[in-house]
Amino acid sequence: MERLFFDAAALLAILFAGLMVVGKDPVKSVLALVVSFFALAVTYVLLLAPFIAGLQVIVYAGAILVLFLFVLMLLNVGRERPDGARRPIQTVLGSLAVLVFAGLLLGMLRATGTRVPILTDAAAPAALADPAAIARLLFSDYLLHFEAVSVLLLAALVGAFVLARREEAR
Amino acid sequence: MTAIDWVIVVLRVVLPALILPGIVIPLVWVERRVAALMQDRPGPNRVGPFGLMQSPADILKLFTKEDTVPTSADKLLFLLAPGLAVFAALSTFAVIPFGPTIEVAGRTIPLIGADISIGLLYVFAITSLSVYSIVLAGWSSNDKFALMGGIRSSAQIISYELAMTTAAAGVVLASGSFRLTDIVGMQQGAYHLIPFLPRWNVVPQFFGFLVFFISAFAETNRLPFDLPEAEAELVAGYHTEYSAMRFGSYFLAEYINVIVASAMTATLYFGGWSLPGYHPHGLVGGLVSLAVFAAKTAFFVLVFIWVRWTLPRFRYDQLMKLGWKALLPLALANLLWVAGLEMIRMHN
Repeated sequence: MERLFFDAAALLAILFAGLMVVGKDPVKSVLALVVSFFALAVTYVLLLAPFIAGLQVIVYAGAILVLFLFVLMLLNVGRERPDGARRPIQTVLGSLAVLVFAGLLLGMLRATGTRVPILTDAAAPAALADPAAIARLLFSDYLLHFEAVSVLLLAALVGAFVLARREEAR
Repeated sequence: MTAIDWVIVVLRVVLPALILPGIVIPLVWVERRVAALMQDRPGPNRVGPFGLMQSPADILKLFTKEDTVPTSADKLLFLLAPGLAVFAALSTFAVIPFGPTIEVAGRTIPLIGADISIGLLYVFAITSLSVYSIVLAGWSSNDKFALMGGIRSSAQIISYELAMTTAAAGVVLASGSFRLTDIVGMQQGAYHLIPFLPRWNVVPQFFGFLVFFISAFAETNRLPFDLPEAEAELVAGYHTEYSAMRFGSYFLAEYINVIVASAMTATLYFGGWSLPGYHPHGLVGGLVSLAVFAAKTAFFVLVFIWVRWTLPRFRYDQLMKLGWKALLPLALANLLWVAGLEMIRMHN
């Protein structure tokens, strides 16, 4: 039963991610990505990580993509033109990225095998399910990474602010 | 699991989802009667006793009216958006405990839809999705008033969600859990020094409660923060182009959201279903707790109505200023205060 839900959610996530890429209407693309993220959250729940699932929905689907949509609506971006101002370098870099990620995926599959711990799996570590356990790890073993990411986000924020200010002064 | 167990599970899950829209019907009548009372006029009093049948009559009317879709609208999204609004409003209630775990005829029945470890996060996740129903309605209508309403609303909801979540983080910090049953559980009993004062979160975190409750008005698009549908400037905002029951869906979602926000306020800050000095046992205890929970929720719903007919609408810049410059710093200060309290408690 859990396996069935997992496969369905994973399939939905992949399907809508694909729709996002090939979609011609930017607003529809964002919405396809929302569905994809939501389906991903479902797989996280079934992989015994409800905390990550909650964050996935709140941060990605609930905040970041709403901002995307907000900007698209404000700018009133039209449909993508079929002729496409695509440069050859984009094709090269795109293919390269696909190769790298495919390699990454293959490497991971070889390391872990195709067996994944799903909701009823007794062998799966219970600590993953507990928000308190994640918090403990975050503020002990991974404190440096945690702080580094927060500095990175702050830098991005300041950067965006500087760019926006320059626009205003002109 | 026997058949009776299945029935109990289905009841726990389905009943709240069915009762909520059912409560909205008399609630609309209450809102209009209270409004009339405050404005010294009779209000709806013709249909049925005390005008009670006014809301059912209105709903019948909404269902039988013509359902129009603008020719230039994005059909799929236009039709999807109202459903999304009702879905988001209804599914929040699944994790709010409306009573203790009771023992009836040898069975333990927790009076909650689903007691999940990330309860509070789930509520915020669903609330953050509800903004899509408004944004999509505004965009897909292909109408400038609707679009303006949608844009205003998304900016408003994102701004106030920040303050609301930060305020609620204080409650999580104090109880050490996202689980709403734990949050209710830690609020039982009274303080040692002041025995008549229940251990409700509102006592140490009064400002957190204030921020949470004010933000709830913005999240539900109620006056004084109903700018997305400001009649004077935006006709009806994001639902300008909607008619019949699709408009009704937004109406329904707004009232359900008011009930959910009230229930959340009662749960996070006022001890949820618990009554100070009362330890529920068996079926009677469950029913009493349910009544206590309903009474607390009803009180905050009345405050929602009361505020709507008391305060004028904010201007947009005032709304943003209040959210970012007053509520968010206050919520952060509250979080620091709670952290300090917890430090003291841990050292003792």
